[in-house]
Amino acid sequence: MPSPAIARWLIIAALIVLWEALPRVGAISPLFLPPLSDTLRVVVADWPQYAEALGVTLGEVAVALVFACGGGILAGALIGGLPMLRTLLLPVASSAYAVPLVVLYPVLTVWLGIGPESKIAFAAINGFLPTTLATAAGIRTIDPNLLLAARSMGATLSQRITRVIIPASIPTVLAGLRLGGVLVIVGVVVSEMLTSTAGIGYIVTRYRTVLDSAHVFGAVLLIVLLTLMFDTLARFLERRGAAWQPHLASRERSVRRAPIGEVAPAE
Amino acid sequence: MADLIAEAPTAPPRISGTGSIQVRNLSHVYVGRDGESPALADIDFTVEPGRFVVLVGPSGCGKTSLLMMLAGLREHSDGTILCDARPVTGPDPNRIGVVFQEANLFPWLTALDNVAFPLTLRRVKTAERRRRAQDMLRLVRLEDFASRYPHELSGGMRQRVSIARGLVQDPPVLLMDEPFAALDEQTRMAMGDELLRIWSETRKTVVFVTHSLTEAVYLADEVMVMSARPGRIIDRIQVDLPRPRRYETMSDPRFTALRDRIWRHIRAERA
Repeated sequence: MPSPAIARWLIIAALIVLWEALPRVGAISPLFLPPLSDTLRVVVADWPQYAEALGVTLGEVAVALVFACGGGILAGALIGGLPMLRTLLLPVASSAYAVPLVVLYPVLTVWLGIGPESKIAFAAINGFLPTTLATAAGIRTIDPNLLLAARSMGATLSQRITRVIIPASIPTVLAGLRLGGVLVIVGVVVSEMLTSTAGIGYIVTRYRTVLDSAHVFGAVLLIVLLTLMFDTLARFLERRGAAWQPHLASRERSVRRAPIGEVAPAE
Repeated sequence: MADLIAEAPTAPPRISGTGSIQVRNLSHVYVGRDGESPALADIDFTVEPGRFVVLVGPSGCGKTSLLMMLAGLREHSDGTILCDARPVTGPDPNRIGVVFQEANLFPWLTALDNVAFPLTLRRVKTAERRRRAQDMLRLVRLEDFASRYPHELSGGMRQRVSIARGLVQDPPVLLMDEPFAALDEQTRMAMGDELLRIWSETRKTVVFVTHSLTEAVYLADEVMVMSARPGRIIDRIQVDLPRPRRYETMSDPRFTALRDRIWRHIRAERA
């Protein structure tokens, strides 16, 4: 039995091989699944078109991320930090989370047109709630004893915020950003697929209507890569920001350091 | 490095004889949803500088509340608390250091940065901050663990870092709220000896809250026994056992007699 890491790579390699082999041997019609090599060939051949679409999508994702994360962290900090706002708004925010937000998109196109603005607005709304809820949870779950200890050392309110509340909530906020960020990408791509004139989602829809599967799958492949890149970056930030958290940090640290016991000279 | 040398020792030498605590007619009424209930009554005592005083009493008698009031972390209804003849109106880490039951270290800071934390709040220069924090880690014998994070330390080590943090601003008074309650018995006994060593080197005034009668007699110059709620001080027991105290001290008949006397009080209060 290979190790889980090796097994994971074997599964991915097998999927890649199947993607190429199944349509080639005629097990699946190339209309449903064009071989990987055909997909890659059209992406390379039509690279300027794909690159331009990716650029549009990335720009929309970046702006929407700023709104979703900035607004989400701010709203989450207020809801988590102020008990009155919490009782008023937290149930609303949690319920709003259950609404299929995609119903908002037609409304947004009426208000903002079918250009980038409506995509940014939709994606930002999509990523806003999870970031808000994660930030609020992060602030609410701070150990009150840490704040008491800071107070005993003479920390003022602003020092307690900057030196205790913010560092203590960073791990939860980063986890919320990762979830929110993925939803922002989903929001941009979905809205591009529904109504638009540019972007990677638009390419999917355009080639699908003319049954050009290779081009559709090329776009899908790029969306998958985009999401994986974002997720890797977000995980990296999460590990960096939460280096002090036992479950994330201890494994790699303990490799470099001697095991610790009750070994100090005094004992 | 040059910075370090230029800044030579800056901590002012402590004026001997500071660190007295006076509590005058302190009482507290807890106001909750079901109305008022008296929590502390007629608390009146003085602690001389450099003394090791232990507060014991039945669960819920208000000994932790009293300690938090001494620390300026909790309001009281009536009476005054003086530290070196000045009223305690809020937390003042230059006069009073506090060590809590859980070490309450900041998990995102290393041991050294945790100890230096009170100094960062007052904009002490980096080099001096490091030097003073390192001195304190040396005092608690953890100088080799300066760059460890709290989760990489054992429970006893975390509590020693917490003591170092409480002492880093060189306050004359150290208040300790059941600091060893969460530790296993062996660590707890070792920490008791460790605390007595630190105390004998620094000569702080210590007020120490505990549930353990053995720990109380072992550590204290004086044990103050509190009654059940509303908490009052019902006995003040002088512990004249010789120092340094050792494991063998605990089998001294005088030790046993003192512990029995405290237990009789507490048993009566619990009934």
